[in-house]
Amino acid sequence: MTHPARTFALRLTRDKSDTLLLLTAALMVLAPHFGHLPLWISAGVCATLLWRAAITWRGKRMPPLWLLLPVSVAAMAGVYLTYRTLLGRDAGVAMLALLLAFKLLEMRAKRDLFVVIFLSFFVLLTNFFYSQSMPTALFMMATLIVLLTAQQSFQYTGVVPPLARRLRTSAKLALLAAPLALLLFVGFPRIQGPLWGLPGDAHAGKTGISDSMAPGTLSSLALSEETAFRVRFIDPVPARGQLYWRSIVLGDYDGRTWTRVPRLRGLQRLDVAINARGAPVRHEITMEASGKRWLALLELAGPDFSVPGHRVRDSDEMEQFTMEPVAQRTRFAAAAYLDYRLQAGERPERMRRWLELPAGFNPRTLALAGQLRQQAPQASPEQLSNAVLSRFRNDSYNYTLEPPLLGRDAVDEFLFGSKAGFCEHYAGAYVVLMRAMGVPARVVTGYQGGEMNPVDGYLTVRQSDAHAWAEIWTAAGGWRRVDPTAAVAPERVEKNLARALPRPATFGLGPLIELQNDPDSWLAQLRFGYAAMNNSWNQWVLDYNPERQRSFLEELSAAFANWRTALGAALVAGLLAALRRRRRRRPVDPLDGLYQAFCRQQARHGYARHADEGPSSYAARLRIMPAGAAKHAAMEQFLTLYGALRYGAPEPESRTASLATLKTLLPLCR
Amino acid sequence: MISSLRALYRKGRDKWLFQLGDSEPGTVTLGMRRVFIVPTRPGLAFAGLLLVMLVGALNYSLGLGFALTFFTGACAVADMLLTAKNLALLQLSPGRAPPVFAGEEARFELHIRNRTRLDRYAVWLGFQADGEPRQATDILAGGDSAVRLSTPTLERGWLEAPRVRLVTRFPLGLFRAWSYWRPDAKVLVYPAPETPAQPLPSSGAASEDGHGTVGLDNFAGIRSYQPGDPMRHLAWRQIARHDPALGGQLVTKHFEGGAVAELSLDFAALPLQLELELKLSRMTRWVLEAEQRALPYTFRLAQHEYGPALGDAHQAACLRALALFGAEGRA
Repeated sequence: MTHPARTFALRLTRDKSDTLLLLTAALMVLAPHFGHLPLWISAGVCATLLWRAAITWRGKRMPPLWLLLPVSVAAMAGVYLTYRTLLGRDAGVAMLALLLAFKLLEMRAKRDLFVVIFLSFFVLLTNFFYSQSMPTALFMMATLIVLLTAQQSFQYTGVVPPLARRLRTSAKLALLAAPLALLLFVGFPRIQGPLWGLPGDAHAGKTGISDSMAPGTLSSLALSEETAFRVRFIDPVPARGQLYWRSIVLGDYDGRTWTRVPRLRGLQRLDVAINARGAPVRHEITMEASGKRWLALLELAGPDFSVPGHRVRDSDEMEQFTMEPVAQRTRFAAAAYLDYRLQAGERPERMRRWLELPAGFNPRTLALAGQLRQQAPQASPEQLSNAVLSRFRNDSYNYTLEPPLLGRDAVDEFLFGSKAGFCEHYAGAYVVLMRAMGVPARVVTGYQGGEMNPVDGYLTVRQSDAHAWAEIWTAAGGWRRVDPTAAVAPERVEKNLARALPRPATFGLGPLIELQNDPDSWLAQLRFGYAAMNNSWNQWVLDYNPERQRSFLEELSAAFANWRTALGAALVAGLLAALRRRRRRRPVDPLDGLYQAFCRQQARHGYARHADEGPSSYAARLRIMPAGAAKHAAMEQFLTLYGALRYGAPEPESRTASLATLKTLLPLCR
Repeated sequence: MISSLRALYRKGRDKWLFQLGDSEPGTVTLGMRRVFIVPTRPGLAFAGLLLVMLVGALNYSLGLGFALTFFTGACAVADMLLTAKNLALLQLSPGRAPPVFAGEEARFELHIRNRTRLDRYAVWLGFQADGEPRQATDILAGGDSAVRLSTPTLERGWLEAPRVRLVTRFPLGLFRAWSYWRPDAKVLVYPAPETPAQPLPSSGAASEDGHGTVGLDNFAGIRSYQPGDPMRHLAWRQIARHDPALGGQLVTKHFEGGAVAELSLDFAALPLQLELELKLSRMTRWVLEAEQRALPYTFRLAQHEYGPALGDAHQAACLRALALFGAEGRA
């Protein structure tokens, strides 16, 4: 099978095979971009590469400049029409891809070759705008080696080793470069980017919680497996039911949509009284880039914490947000007080804003509220709340991802009609009912729970963990968290969404999904292992930022300040060097070794063997050496025997015997 | 003033930095200390590319962008090491350098040996004075390679091999490593033969019939071969009958009169008014002509007196005397 391939390779001239290799490298560089480039650009790039390959194959001439120039101008115009700009990340990548393809058609001098290769290196980098996963990294590594091989192939002048050998040479070069690259990666001083304002599309297409909530907002997130953030607890992990990650508080309701209470400019901020009890739960949050300003923090986050590279503000509603959108994966330390009292003892008139309801909406709900209120005129807010929750619990309400569409009086329709909804329906309806009964209440959105990875101990909170709950205010207890969803689907809070709402299985994959959700199954173990690997990849490779660098280098220097570690490292280095030296010493044929020893001996008497001297002519020259007869005889015998062994074809047994004789003769020739 | 300063600077740099010295006898091994390296123009452009990549990675906070940038940079450093190693530890030795006539190209044979386990590709060689080397060779692990470099000759006498520059950009072309070597080889440059040729001197007794300066035209029989007999006088017909392998002998044609009418090439007999170099050129031409026509000749030049004889060795001795005339004390 290899034979035709070999003749095929021989038939290609060197120039052709080099160019085809370069085309392969360019294709490997460009291929990952096809996934997000507009179809016409991908097709154009492919066609150009094919055209170039055909030119190379047939040995035709390159297209003239008068043809290339209008085509490239048209391509630029096309990019402008597609993106409406020539700047920005995506348009820039499209232009680079086209530029690389066209440059391949305009390769005339050796200089152009370097231009193509360098351009390929840069396009390789732009791949990381779109994916920085481990498979991408592996593929890019392979691409880099092919690219280096292409670059190297153009340097040969005579003999060109086969492609496999060249690839191996490049791989060796990469291996040689690896330690230095690692050192640079760890030690090169990092600066927190960006250096200048990023184009608007730099962080496009991020999903997450928004600052308004209408029916369907959160359930659209429920299917997203995207990670919102990861948490590593320093203190013991709180119970699942305590893991409420507070993000945005919604207080204004227009009958359909919940929005944040707008803050009037210039209004003085309230003094918010917080009483926290117990020790805080310290943890470290690694937040994925959200493109938004809101942070999600474990309730209730301590007052002073900072996010590297950002200024953090908080609001009266105990929301925390950054001044600029979080555009990169960010790591920060946080502490939360699980037992807290918020604004206890506040004057009730200050809470009036949390009682407002739009006029003319949801009349049946308001009537229900009045009815509940009348049943127990003396009831405390807690008792009223329990009455609402028990209604949810006992009146055959459903927890579903696909609630029916609701009309104008959404809460009425939900409470009395469909009786099926997602957490936003329950939280919204609950707050409306409580307000109607005169209890200050508000909706809180954020995340609930998360998945603990037993492999690395990180808690992963996904977009599917997005949740909405409520807070009611009592004069004695302050703001208290109430989760109406827990009344309907307690397993949502106790376990996770997948447990509460089995996904509709398609194509009989049900058992597999079951397997995946069972934390003890092998599939789950595999998934946890992969997730842990991915997380350390994120933590150490993708998110190796100035802070991490500083702390890591500090740890490292602390470790090496310890004399035992330093000694150990020195020992290992010495051992490696010794091994290397030992390996470098080439095994010498015993016969050659003896002969060299002999020559060294005679050289000491001033009779060094000349480079062009064979044993017999050397012997002739040694005969005139002033020495005893015994020595002359020994030398004569030694050289005769050596010549016979070296140039004759003796039996293996006699060879070993002769070697022994030579060894005994050697001291006599001294 | 400035140009002399520049020359002084260049001389100092060559001597101190590049350690340019006289020729070194025998085999020379290129140590790392003798290999110099600078980035090429693409290498500088590559540094620019790295900077752009670094800025890109920084601006978009691309963890893998940093990794790629550093890795690419480290590859360039590895390339620097490999480029230097592509020259280092090569063993150089001069080979044969046959004599030439002035005005011809002197050809020096250079041997490059690779005793290491690393294949050396794309090593360029050339004389330093000629600018960028134009001859490339590969020396595989444990192998060797012979390269012939030529340089024009102008004057007679000994011509020492000029300084050789070895250059390589392998494997990636980002760096250019070079090394200098002055081979311990010299070429003997004979004087250029005079053109147009003057007739051979007729100082010897002319034959009676008036044509042919020396009477070697009259075939007188054959005799057994003696070393030194010109090839053209071998009696091939007779030799063919008696195969030397079967005990036959080489036989030579014998001509009459040759011993009497001897050709003498005497420097002192040349017209006095001629220029020295022209005289030497004429002598050279005559030596060649006599050899070509197989006329045994006597050669006299100052203290040298050879012949009468004929053959390569005689010719070489005569030409050597001509080439080194007036410079023997120095040679």
